Amino acid sequence: MSHRGRWVGWVALVAVFVWSAVATEVSIGRTIEGLPFMWDFLRRMVPPDPSVFGNALRGAIQTIQIAIVGTVVAAVLALPIGFAAARNAAPPWLFYTARPLLNAFRAIDTLVYALFFVAAVGLGPFPGVLAVIVYTVTVLAKLYSEAIEAIEPGPVEAVRATGATALQVLRWGVLPQLVPQFLSFTLYRFETNIRAAAILGFVGAGGIGFYVQTYLRLLNYPAAASVLLVLIALVMAVDFASSRLRARLV
Amino acid sequence: MIRVRGLRKEYSGGSPALDGIDLDIGRGEFVALIGPSGAGKSTLLRCLNGLVTPTAGQIEVDGVAVTGATPEALRRVRTRVGFVFQQFNLLRRLTVIENTVLGRLALTSRWRSLIGWFEPADLARAEATLGRVGLVGLATRRIDTLSGGQQQRVAIARALVQGPALILADEPMASLDPALAHTVMELLRRINQEDGITVITSLHVLELAQAYGQRIIGLHQGRVVHDGPPASLDRAATARIFGPGATGSAT
Repeated sequence: MSHRGRWVGWVALVAVFVWSAVATEVSIGRTIEGLPFMWDFLRRMVPPDPSVFGNALRGAIQTIQIAIVGTVVAAVLALPIGFAAARNAAPPWLFYTARPLLNAFRAIDTLVYALFFVAAVGLGPFPGVLAVIVYTVTVLAKLYSEAIEAIEPGPVEAVRATGATALQVLRWGVLPQLVPQFLSFTLYRFETNIRAAAILGFVGAGGIGFYVQTYLRLLNYPAAASVLLVLIALVMAVDFASSRLRARLV
Repeated sequence: MIRVRGLRKEYSGGSPALDGIDLDIGRGEFVALIGPSGAGKSTLLRCLNGLVTPTAGQIEVDGVAVTGATPEALRRVRTRVGFVFQQFNLLRRLTVIENTVLGRLALTSRWRSLIGWFEPADLARAEATLGRVGLVGLATRRIDTLSGGQQQRVAIARALVQGPALILADEPMASLDPALAHTVMELLRRINQEDGITVITSLHVLELAQAYGQRIIGLHQGRVVHDGPPASLDRAATARIFGPGATGSAT
């Protein structure tokens, strides 16, 4: 790119930033004015109310359960869809159908799906599970399909050269290249789904988010603090365990 | 052992990779296939076990037609033919023994192979073959922890464990440093002499071809331009294969 072109690019970038900042009413003054209220909010949370730890724990466990069921079902469903969305595995008509559909559905976040499913099947963790499934399928299928497209053809050819059947070629030439990556992607999505499932309760789709929202609404800050502490511990524990597992996979 | 008649292979766009090959190779021969890159060596080797489907011509391996074979018949031919690749083409996350025993896939119980529960006899055979190629004690190591020379020996073990009548090797030492090239060539020669397995290996280093080949076939632009014992490979023959001005080794 020419000097002039680069210069124009930077000016445009700054212009867009300023335009957006003005439109979103960004104000340092209002932030400073708000500081005492933030401090007040936090102060009221201390000390946390230990009597609600039971509720918080129940909510946390349900959040984990939503993430587990949602991720596992999504991982299974994403397998065939991942192959359908891989350029080197699917016939063109299928690939050109699957890819745009995946991209479209991935544009919508878990929380929006949760609103949809709460309306469809009622309140509780089940619509949360459905929401996690739908969004996770779109993400995992995309990641799977990219891994399938990046497969090394050499080992596949080598297994075929031994006289192996198509099924054996898939099992020994293809899967060993994919399974560790698929498991790693799935574990990573599980971590993310814990976070996603933690706020599903805001829209009535189960889990720890229900308690966060309820206590904040009741202005019961010490109770909300307890729930948030449990949530933080939960996310940290899952991240730690999952990242250690993933490190062993690749 | 091998009968090739009028073999042609054209890829879309460009001159043919193989332009009318006729060849007869007898049982137990050790053939070095030489030629500049793009001469059609890889394509010829891959036609012999049906990894590449020719445009025209006939190929017979071990008395069985490869050209026009049903998928089932082709698989049976492949069980008799081991293939060693330039890039080894091993499953890098699997162990040495797992990679080796894959050579038995077509010769063992299918369902057992699919769940990875290989027959003890196949595993024992793989283990013994690893010993033959000098990889004792490495059976449970993952491929990505091995050196290039060790990896190529695993690949040779995988071909050998099939119990093949023929081994095709596509530039088996091109990814290795020169010192290791001799180890690999020695190994192929031993397999040829001790087991009576026919070996055809493509090479781009003329010295290796002359040192190991009993018969040297030179390809140039998809045609056989030389065929004879190493002694027959004079200056004129070299020029026909590699073009005038070639000094002896081409890379």
